Amino acid sequence: MLLLQLLINGMIAGSIYALVASGFSLIHSTNRFLHLAHGAVITLGAFTFHTLFLLLDLPLYISALATIVATSFLGWLTYAFIYSPLKTRGASRSTLLVASLALAILLGNILLLLFGPDPRSINFDLPGVNISGALITGLQLLIIIISLIILIILFAFTKWSKLGKTMRAVADNHELAEISGINSKKIEITGFIIGSAIAGLAAVLITLDQNIDPYMGRELMIKGLTGAIVGGVTSLPGAVFGSYFLGLLENVGILWLPSSYKDAIAAVLLISFLLFKPTGFFGLNKKTIND
Amino acid sequence: MHLVIMIGIYVTLSVGLNLTMGFAGVPNLGHVAFFGIGAYTSALLSLSNFPFLFALVVSGLTGATSGLLLILLTHELKGGYMALATLSFSSLVYVTLLNWEGLTRGTMGIPGIPKPGLWGVKLAPNTSYALIVLTIMMISLLFARRLTASPYGRLWIALRDNEVALSALGKNIFRLKAQNMMISAFFAGIAGSLFAHQLSYIDPSSFYLSETVLITSIVVLGGLASLRGTVIATIIILLIPEALYFLNIPAQYVGPAKPIIYASLLLIILIFRPNGLLGKYSSV
Repeated sequence: MLLLQLLINGMIAGSIYALVASGFSLIHSTNRFLHLAHGAVITLGAFTFHTLFLLLDLPLYISALATIVATSFLGWLTYAFIYSPLKTRGASRSTLLVASLALAILLGNILLLLFGPDPRSINFDLPGVNISGALITGLQLLIIIISLIILIILFAFTKWSKLGKTMRAVADNHELAEISGINSKKIEITGFIIGSAIAGLAAVLITLDQNIDPYMGRELMIKGLTGAIVGGVTSLPGAVFGSYFLGLLENVGILWLPSSYKDAIAAVLLISFLLFKPTGFFGLNKKTIND
Repeated sequence: MHLVIMIGIYVTLSVGLNLTMGFAGVPNLGHVAFFGIGAYTSALLSLSNFPFLFALVVSGLTGATSGLLLILLTHELKGGYMALATLSFSSLVYVTLLNWEGLTRGTMGIPGIPKPGLWGVKLAPNTSYALIVLTIMMISLLFARRLTASPYGRLWIALRDNEVALSALGKNIFRLKAQNMMISAFFAGIAGSLFAHQLSYIDPSSFYLSETVLITSIVVLGGLASLRGTVIATIIILLIPEALYFLNIPAQYVGPAKPIIYASLLLIILIFRPNGLLGKYSSV
C-alpha cells in the first residue's frame, strides 16, 4: 500500500505546514505584510522546547506551554521593536518584507551561534497504528489530530468571536475599520501574538517528531508561504487547504519524481501561483499584497 | 589583497542591484540568483578549458538572459508581490543548483576553478587578479554612472516615481523594465564569474538568503540610487567582519557572526536611517 502510506505522510506534512501557514496568514491578514521571519520564530521555539524538555528535563506540558509563551513573546518583541517603528515611518510592504528577511537571517544565525549546526532530536514516541499496511506512529496521529483541533478553533474564533470578527474587518479594509472606531494597532499586535503562539505549538510538534537544526526555519517558511499563497493568503481556510495540498503533492509526487526534488515542488508551486494566480484558490482581493 | 578583490567584486554586484532596487525602484530580491548563475557558468566553462575572458562575458550574458526571463514572468507584479516573486526565483535557482547534480555536483560544489593572470606580466597571482577585478569594477562603475546620468537613465527614475505617467508619455514600460533588469543581471553575472575564479571553489550555499541580506544591506546603507554610496557601503560592510579576526573570536563563531552583523545593520538602517549614507530616496 505505497499510495496509502504516501497519503498518510502527506497528511502529516500537511498538518505541520497548515500550522505554519495559518499563523503566518493570521499575521499577514491583520498586519498586511509578509512576516518572513515566522519560520525563524518556529525554529527558536523548537530549540526552546528541546532545551526545556530534554536538557532541563521539565515535564512535557510545562515545556510546551513555556515554548508557546516564548514564541508569543518573541512575536510581540519583533512587532514592538522592529515592525512598529518601521510602520510609523510609513514603510512600504516591500521594505517590511526586507526587514522580515533580515530578521529571519538574524534569528537563524543566533541559533547557529548558540547551538551549532548539528541536528538534534528527541526520542519520543507513542505506540503506532497499522492501517491496512501503512504505518503511522502514535505521535504522528496526534500531530494530525492536534493540528485539526487548533485549526478548527482558530476558524471558529475568526468566524464567530467578537475579536475574530474585528480582525477580519481590519484584514478586509484597514481604513474603514479605523473609521468605525477599531483600534487597528491593537488588532495588529493581537494578530502577531496569536500567530506566534501557533508558531510555538508548531515548534513543539515538529521537535517531538523530527530532527531540528538552525536552518530548518528557511525550509518551513517556504512551505508555509507556499501553502498560504496556494490557498489564498488572505483566507485562513484557504491557507490550511493550500498546506494540505502541498503536503500531499510533495509526498505523492515521489511516485513520479526523484525524491531529491521533493523540496523543489514547493518552490515551483510558489512561483507559478505568484505569477499566474496570485490570489490563490480562495483569496479574493488582489490588492492585499500589492502596494 | 583578497579583501581588495572581494570589495571589487561586491561593488560590481551591488551597483547592479542598485540599478534595479535604487534607480528603477523594483524590490528585487533575486539578484543573488544571477550572481550564482554567473559563478556556475564561469566555473563550468573554465573547467572545460575555455579562456577566462570568454567565460566572463558568457557569465554576464547568462545572467542577463535569466534577468530577461525573470522580468518576462514578473513584469506586471508590484510591491510585495514583486519582492516575493523575485525571492522565490532565487529560491528556485538555489534548489536547482542543489539538485541538478549532473551539472553542478549539488552540495559538493565545484572545486579547482583556475585563477587567471595577466599576459606577460610577472606578479603574484592575487595582485594581477586584483588588477583585473578593479579594472572591471571601474568599467562597471563608469558605465553605470554614464547610463544613470543620461536622459535614458532618467527614464528609470521616472519608472520608480510614476509608472502610469511614464506610460502616458508613450514610453514602453516593459522594454524599460526588461533593459533595466538585464543590465543589472549582467553586472551580477560578471561579479559571479569574478567571485568563482577568486574563491576557486563554489557551492550553492553562497547564493542564497544570507547573501541577499548582505547585498541588500550594502545598497540600503549606501543609499538607494547613489553609486558613490554603494562603493562606500561595500567597503564598510566588507571591512566590519575583518574586525572579528582581530578580536580573536574562535573560528566557529565567525561564520554565524557575519550574517548576524549584516542583518542587524540592515534592520538598524531601515529603522533609523532609511536614506542610508548618501541616498536620495528613503527606502521606506
